[in-house]
Amino acid sequence: MKFQQIDQFAAGLRKETQAAVYDGSKKGYDARTKTLFDHFEDPNRLRRVAGEIKQHVVENLDTYLPQVEAKLKANGVTVHWAATAEAANQAVLAIMRARGAKKMVKAKTMVSEETELGHFLEKEGIECVETDLGEFIIQIDGDHPSHIVKPIIHKNRREIATSFEKHGLGAYNDDPQTITRRARAHLRNKYLEADVALTGANFISAESGRLVLVTNEGNSRFCLAATKCHIAMVGIEKILPCDRDFALLLNLLARSGTGQQLTVYTEFITGPKSAAQPDGPEEMHVVFVDNGRTDVLASDCRDILRCIRCGACLNVCPVYRQASGHAYRSVYPGPVGAVLSPLLAGKKFPELADLPKASSLCGACNEVCPVNIPIPDLLLRLRNKGKLEKSEAAAAATPPMGGWAVMATQPAAWKFAMMGGKIIDHLPVKLVPVPVFKAWTGSRTLPGWKGGEFRKWMKSRPPAAPNVSRGGPSGPALPEKTP
Amino acid sequence: MLNHDCPRPAGKHVQLMATCLCDAFYDDAARATVEILEYLGCAVEFPEGQTCCGQPAFNGGDWAASRKVVRHTVKTFAGDAPVVVPSGSCAAMMFHGAILEFEKEPDLDQVKALGHRTWELGDFIVNGLGVKTWPGRYDAKIAFHRSCHSRGTDSGAAVTGLLGSIAGLTVVPFGEGEQCCGFGGTFSVAFPHVSTSMGELKLDHIRAVQPDLLVSLDMSCMMHLGGLAEKEGRPIKTQHFAQVLRDSLKNTGLI
Amino acid sequence: MNTDREAILSRVRSALAPLPQRAQRPDWEAELVHMRTMRGDVDAWTLFRERLKLVNGLPLEGAAALVDWLDQNGWRHGYCDPELWPRLQAAFPATFTVEAVFDRTRVDDYQFGITRAAGAVAETGSLILTDASTSRRLAALTPWVHIAVVSRGQIHLDLQHAMTALADDPNIVFCTGPSKTADVEGILIEGVHGPGQQVALLLE
Repeated sequence: MKFQQIDQFAAGLRKETQAAVYDGSKKGYDARTKTLFDHFEDPNRLRRVAGEIKQHVVENLDTYLPQVEAKLKANGVTVHWAATAEAANQAVLAIMRARGAKKMVKAKTMVSEETELGHFLEKEGIECVETDLGEFIIQIDGDHPSHIVKPIIHKNRREIATSFEKHGLGAYNDDPQTITRRARAHLRNKYLEADVALTGANFISAESGRLVLVTNEGNSRFCLAATKCHIAMVGIEKILPCDRDFALLLNLLARSGTGQQLTVYTEFITGPKSAAQPDGPEEMHVVFVDNGRTDVLASDCRDILRCIRCGACLNVCPVYRQASGHAYRSVYPGPVGAVLSPLLAGKKFPELADLPKASSLCGACNEVCPVNIPIPDLLLRLRNKGKLEKSEAAAAATPPMGGWAVMATQPAAWKFAMMGGKIIDHLPVKLVPVPVFKAWTGSRTLPGWKGGEFRKWMKSRPPAAPNVSRGGPSGPALPEKTP
Repeated sequence: MLNHDCPRPAGKHVQLMATCLCDAFYDDAARATVEILEYLGCAVEFPEGQTCCGQPAFNGGDWAASRKVVRHTVKTFAGDAPVVVPSGSCAAMMFHGAILEFEKEPDLDQVKALGHRTWELGDFIVNGLGVKTWPGRYDAKIAFHRSCHSRGTDSGAAVTGLLGSIAGLTVVPFGEGEQCCGFGGTFSVAFPHVSTSMGELKLDHIRAVQPDLLVSLDMSCMMHLGGLAEKEGRPIKTQHFAQVLRDSLKNTGLI
Repeated sequence: MNTDREAILSRVRSALAPLPQRAQRPDWEAELVHMRTMRGDVDAWTLFRERLKLVNGLPLEGAAALVDWLDQNGWRHGYCDPELWPRLQAAFPATFTVEAVFDRTRVDDYQFGITRAAGAVAETGSLILTDASTSRRLAALTPWVHIAVVSRGQIHLDLQHAMTALADDPNIVFCTGPSKTADVEGILIEGVHGPGQQVALLLE
C-alpha cells in the first residue's frame, strides 16, 4: 500500500512549524469558545439560523445574482462576470489598462489566491502589493498562506526577521512590534502611490448592494482611501438576503474566527466615494467569480458554499493541527478545503480526492461552523465520489473492502473467519499478510483475538423466560445509591 | 448533525447488535451489555446472522460494498423491536450513515426504519428505559472518553450521568476533551502518523489526571488508545462503560 | 464579458433545476443576537465607554480632556475637520499646530486627525464613520491617533439596531478600537496600517 500524501507531509513537518500551527489553532478555538458561550445563551441556535439563511441563498442564487447585479448597477458600480480564473484576471487587467494603471495595492482575498492574480499582474508588468501583514510576508517570501485567516500561522518571528532583512526592510530584528512598524512604514508609501485598490468581500447584500469587508489592520481602509479605483473580486456565493442579516452573520464571524466580538474595521461599501469626499475611489467595479463554484452548486456537496471563511474549522481540526495548511496542496486547507478544493478542481478532482480522506470524521468542524455546514457528511460523499472515479490519490493505503463485504453478507463465512482469526495471536506480526494489520501494528498492539467467544456464550445461556416480552415486568427495584 | 429527529421505540424486548469489534476482540463488553440489559428486565435477542454495521466500507468511500452489508443487516434485524448497540459509531452508522448512503436507493425506507429503531446503549438505558442512576458500587477514579460519534447526541450525557451516579466512582475530566482520539476507522491505517500523534496527545492528557481506568462508549477508541499505550510499554486499563456498570452490580452481589 | 454572465447564470440555473424544493429563508427575532452581557441599567454613552475600553479604545469627554491627553503624549501636530474646529479651538494652546488642510504628500506630519463620527454602537464599542461625516478618509486613518467626535444622541444600543439604521452613504466604517494584528506568532500588536490610538471624544 502506498502512503497517503497528507500523512507523509505531516510526518515530515518540522517540529517547530507543527507546534506553531497547533498553538495558533488552539488559541483560536479557545477564544471562540469563550466569547460565543460568554456572550450568548444559545450560540448553537445562532449557527443553525445563520446556516439556514446561507443555504437559502445558495439554493436561490438564480434569483439573488441578478438581483444583486441590478442593485450594484443602480449604485454606480460596474459589474463584471468571470467564469474562470483566467477570465477574472483578464477582467482586472482590462480595468487597469483602461486607466493606464501600473500599481495595485490589495487587501486579503482568497478568491485572488485561487486565480493567482498577483503572479498574473506581475507578468503583465503591474506592481501588485499585498497589504495584509501576513500576506505581505508571504509575498516577499514567495510562500503560500497556510490558513485562511492567519496566513503565516506556520512561521515564527525569526523566519520573518530573516526575510525582512533579505528584502531590504532593515537589519535583522525579530521583535514582533518592530516587524509590524517596519511593514507599516514600508506599505504607507505603497498605498499612496498606487492607482488601484483590489479587495474581496465577506458579504454582499441583495437588499442594498452593500459589500462588507471585515479586517483588523486598516489595510483595506487605506487601500480605499488612497486610490482612485476600487475593484472587488467576489465569489458568486457571498450574498446575504438583506442588511438586517449582517447583524447575525457579523455577530458570528469574528467570534468564530478569532474570538473577537467584531474585527476592528467593518466596512459597508455601496459604491464609489461620495462627491464631496476628497479621498477614495471615483470608480468601483465588482467582478463576480465562478471558477468552479457552479460545479459545486450542481453537486450534492453544495452546502459547502455557505462557508463564510472564518477559519474556525481549521482551528479545531486535529488533522489540520498535525499536518498544517500546506499539506492540503491547495488554496483552501483544513476541513472546508477538504471539501471545496477537490470540487473546485473540476475535472482534476481525482488528483485532490485524497483530501476528504484526511479526516477521522470527528465532527468538531461542524460543531464550530457558524453556518452549520455538515462537513463530515460532505467528506463521506466525496470519498464515495473518489472511489467511483477510481482516484489513485484517494485509494492509497486504503484497504479494499470487496472481500470484507462478501464475508459480512455470509454469516457462515463470517463465523468461520471469527474462529480462524485466532491465528493472528500466534503468528509473528511481520508474517501477517494483511497490510491493514501491518499498518496498525507499526505503532499499536492488537488486543487478543476473541472471535466467536461472545457467540458461544450467548448460545450457551438458557432461553429467555416465557413471560418476559415487550412491556413485561420492570425488573428488580433499583436501590438508593449507597454512600 | 447526529441528532435523532424522530421518536424511537423503547420497550423491554430488544435486539442486540454486538458489533464486529466485540465479536472479534471484546467479548466481555458484549457480555456485560447483555447482563445489564437483563438486569433491567429486558429480554435480549441476538440475531445470529449479524456481522457488521457496514461502517468500515462506508467511511472508506466504497458505498457499494457498504450497502451490501447494510442490506444484510436490515434482513438480520427484521422486526420492530428496539435495536441496542454498545457503540456510538455503529449506532450512528445505522441512524445516520446508512441513510446517507441509501439516499438514492429504492430500499431507503427499510434502512430508515431500522435506523429509527436503533439506540446506542447508554442513550437506551437513560432515555429509552428511564433509568437515570445506577446501583451497586465501583471504587475507582475514571477518565471518560466521549467518543466522537456521540457528538450532538444524548449518549455522552447519558453515560456520564450513569457513571457519576455510581457509589465510589469519580469521573475526572481531562484536557482537550473535544479532540478526537485519532482512530477514525480506516483513517488509523491510512494516516498512521497523524492518527498516532492524535492518540499520543490524548494519552498525555489522560495520564495527567492519573485515572485508574479509561472508559468509553466505543471500543474502537479504546482499541486505538489502549494499543498505543501498550506498544509504548506504558499500558492503561480500558473498558466499555457496560463493563463498569456490570461490575458495579457484581461488586455488591446484585448479579 | 456578457458571454461569461450568460454562462454563469445558465450554469446556476441548471445546477438548481433538479432540486425538488428550495431551502426556505428563516425568520429570526432580534432576541436571537441579544448578548447576555448587555446592561439595561446604564445609559448608552456609559455602556459605549465601557466597551470601547475593552477593545483598547479611549473615551474622552470635552475638548480640555483631549488636549491634556495629547499634550501628555507629546502629540501636538495634527489635522482637524474645519467644521469641528470652532468647537475645539478654545481648548488648544499655541504650542499646538492644528491644520485645517490634510496634505497627503506629507501624511507623517500629522500625529493626530480629528473628524466627526456619524454614530456609535454601545454594545461593541464601535465608532461609525461615513463619507458624509468624515471630512477626509485619509485624515481619519493615517495619523497614529484618530479622534472621532461623537454626541450622545448618535449612539445605537446594539449591532442589530445599527444594521437597521445604516445611512445612505457609500462608505460606512465601524471602527472598533485601534488597528491591530496578531499575524506574528499570535502576538497582539496595535497600530498596523490604521491608527494605533482610537479616541472617541464626547462633545455635546
